[in-house]
Amino acid sequence: MSACGSVSSQSGKNSPAVALEETSPGTSPRQRDRAIGGRGSTGLPWLLLAAMPLVAIGCGPTPAASFRLNMFEASQQRLKPSQEQQVATILAAMFGSPDEPVVLAETGLDEAKLQLAAGPVRSDIVGRKNGLYREHCAHCHGVTGDGMGPTAAFLNPYPRDYRPGVFKFKSTERADKPTHDDLVLVLRNGLAGSSMPSFDLLSESKIDALAEYVKYLSIRGEVELALMRAYFELDDEDQGKLPETREFLVEEILAPVAEAWQSAEDAVIDVPEMPADIDLVASIAKGKELFYGNKANCVKCHGVTGLGDGQANDYDDWNKVVLQAHKTVQGGLEQASKASTWEMDSDELSEHEADLVWLERFGKVLDGNALQPRMIRPRNLRQGIYRGGMRPLDLYYRIHAGINGAPMPAAKGTVPPEDIWHIVNYIRSLPYDFNGTLGVDRPMVARDRL
Amino acid sequence: MSRPSHVRTRGRCLVFLCLAAWCGQAATAAEWASLKGRFVFDGTAPTPAAITADKDVEVCGKHKLVNEELVVSENGGLANVVIFVRSKKVTVHPDLADGSKADALVLDNKNCRFEPHVGFVQTGQTLTIKNSDPVGHNSNIATMKNSPSNSLIPSDGSADVTFSRDEAIPAAVTCNIHPWMKAYLVIRPNPYGAVSGADGSFVIENLPVGEELEFQLWHEKGGYLDEFTLGGKKADAKRGRIDFTVEAGGTDLGDIVVAGKAF
Repeated sequence: MSACGSVSSQSGKNSPAVALEETSPGTSPRQRDRAIGGRGSTGLPWLLLAAMPLVAIGCGPTPAASFRLNMFEASQQRLKPSQEQQVATILAAMFGSPDEPVVLAETGLDEAKLQLAAGPVRSDIVGRKNGLYREHCAHCHGVTGDGMGPTAAFLNPYPRDYRPGVFKFKSTERADKPTHDDLVLVLRNGLAGSSMPSFDLLSESKIDALAEYVKYLSIRGEVELALMRAYFELDDEDQGKLPETREFLVEEILAPVAEAWQSAEDAVIDVPEMPADIDLVASIAKGKELFYGNKANCVKCHGVTGLGDGQANDYDDWNKVVLQAHKTVQGGLEQASKASTWEMDSDELSEHEADLVWLERFGKVLDGNALQPRMIRPRNLRQGIYRGGMRPLDLYYRIHAGINGAPMPAAKGTVPPEDIWHIVNYIRSLPYDFNGTLGVDRPMVARDRL
Repeated sequence: MSRPSHVRTRGRCLVFLCLAAWCGQAATAAEWASLKGRFVFDGTAPTPAAITADKDVEVCGKHKLVNEELVVSENGGLANVVIFVRSKKVTVHPDLADGSKADALVLDNKNCRFEPHVGFVQTGQTLTIKNSDPVGHNSNIATMKNSPSNSLIPSDGSADVTFSRDEAIPAAVTCNIHPWMKAYLVIRPNPYGAVSGADGSFVIENLPVGEELEFQLWHEKGGYLDEFTLGGKKADAKRGRIDFTVEAGGTDLGDIVVAGKAF
C-alpha cells in the first residue's frame, strides 16, 4: 500500500481527479476524516507524520480513490450527518468503490467490463492497459461521474453529470435512457461543438467497457438520489433511518432505475424512411413554413434568423437545480437576517438557528460541490454543427423526441413524421442560406454574429 | 322460501363482522364521508407582483399576468393549498381505487398561464394538457420518479400524460417558451387530495369513516405548512403532517388559519 513503485505513484500523480476528491472545498470534515482514516490503516498519527516528507516528493501511500457523496442533494434534502453516512454505507455495499466496483445482478451490468474501465491506470500485461475511465474520462467527468472533474469549471458546456441518469443525444424517446449503442456512438464521434472528443482510436472492447462504466456510474448516481430523497417519505416510527432490507433497497430503489436502462433497447424511435423521390426544394420550403409556424414553433427559441437567439434566458435541468438552490440559500439568509429573534420563544429560536446553520452549510456546498449555473443557448442552426450528430437521422431524433434535460420539447404527436423530415431538410439547408431574407433587413451570415 | 335466504344473509353478516373485528380498524370503513375546511391567510397579503410578458407580447401582453405563488381572496381565503392523505395504509373506496377510471384532469394553457395553477392527480389518472391560446406552448413536467415529459402543445392541441408512480414532492410544470408560466402537480397513489379554491375552501370526498389518517398540507410559497391554528388552537403539524379522523356524516374542520409569516 505504501510502496513507492511506479504503478502507485503513477495513479497518484497522473490522476488529478483523485486529488480533487480529497481536497475539494465543501467536503465535510467528517468525509475528509474518513478518507484519511481509509489510507492510514494503522491509525497511528506518528506513522502518518513520518510519511509526510515522502508524500511531499510524490512518494508514499497512494490515496485510494473514493466516490464523492452527492453533497448537493444531501443539503437539498437537509439530511443529518448520520443519514449521509447511511447513504454512503448502502452505496458502498451495493456498488463498491472506484477501484473495486461491484454490481448486483439486477443492474444488468457486466462486472468484467467494469473491471477493465475501473481503478487506477495500470498495466499487468505488456500492451494491455486498465483503468480506462480514469485515463480518458475522469479529468472532466470526475471519478464519481458527477461532471465535476478538475477541468470541468473551465469547459463550456460543462461535462455531463451522469448521476441524474439523464442523457441528451440518443435514439430513444425523450424520457427513456440511451441505448448502449447510443453511448458508444457518442464515445466514437465525440460531441461536435463541445469539449467531448472522439475516442474512435480505442478498440471496440475498450469503448464497450467505457459505455458500460458510464451506465454503472449513472445507475449508482440515480440510486444515490433516490435514497436521499426517500428520507423525506419516512414515517415518524422509522426514526430517520432507511430500512436496510433487500425489499426496500433492491426492489423499491434499484429495480426501477435498472429496468429503465434495460428497457432502453426497446424504446428506440421508429423512424419512417424519408421518401426517396422527395422534391428537396419543395421539402425545404415546407420545412421553413413549419419552422416559423405555430405548431412546431422552432422559431421561438432558435430565433427568426435561426441563429439560436430566440429564447436566450433559459437553463438546462442540471443548471436549473443549482440556480434554484442559490436562490433558496440567498433568499433564506436574507429572510433570516430580517427575523425578529427577540420575539421568538425557545422552540422558534432553536428552529431559526438550525435553519441558519443549514443555509450556511448549503451555501458552502454550492461553492465547493456545484459549478456556477450557466444559461443554455438554443443551437445556432446556421453553423452546421450539431452536438448529437449531423446525420439526417440524428436531427430527426432530436426533433421527434426533443432533448432530455434541455428545454427542447418533443414534436412527437404534434408534428407528423413526414413534416419532421421537411424540418430536417430545412435545417440542413440553413448553413448555406446566405442571402438571409428571414425577417431581417440585412444579409445575415453566421460569422457576422460570432 | 324466504326463510333460508334470510338465514344465509345473517350467516354472511356474522362472517363479515368477525372479519371486521379481526382485521381491526381498516375493515370498519364500510362508510364513507367527506372532510372539508377552508384555508385562511392570517395577516395582510402582499399585492402579487405583475409579470412582464416579453414573449409573444401581442398575445400574452394583453392579459394582466401576475405572480401566482401566493393567491389570497378579498376575505382572506388562501387558494392553491394542497391537502392530501399521506398514510400509505388507507382504505380506498372501491370505486375510486383505479385512477385510470377517474375523469381526466385538464391542465389548460390559457391566457399565457396554466389553469389550474395547482392540480391534484392520482396515479393512473389521465392528465390532459390543452392549449386554448392562439400561440404555441410546451409543458415541461419535472417529475422525480416518473419519466419527465416535455411536449409541444400547439394552439388547440392537446397531449395526454399518465403517471405510474406517486411523487413525494409536487412536480413543477413550466413552459420554456414563456418562462413565467408555472404550475404544480401533486401526484398521489390514491384519490384522497384536494386543492383549495379561490375562497380557500376544499373538500375531499369518500374518505373512510373512523380511520385515523395522516394528512399533509403543502403550499407553493409556504412549503409544508406547519404554522396554523384549527378552531383557534395552535395545530401540531410538523412538516405539514397532521392526523384527522373523518366522522360519519362528514367532518368540517372550519377555518384553518395560516400565519402570514409562514410565507
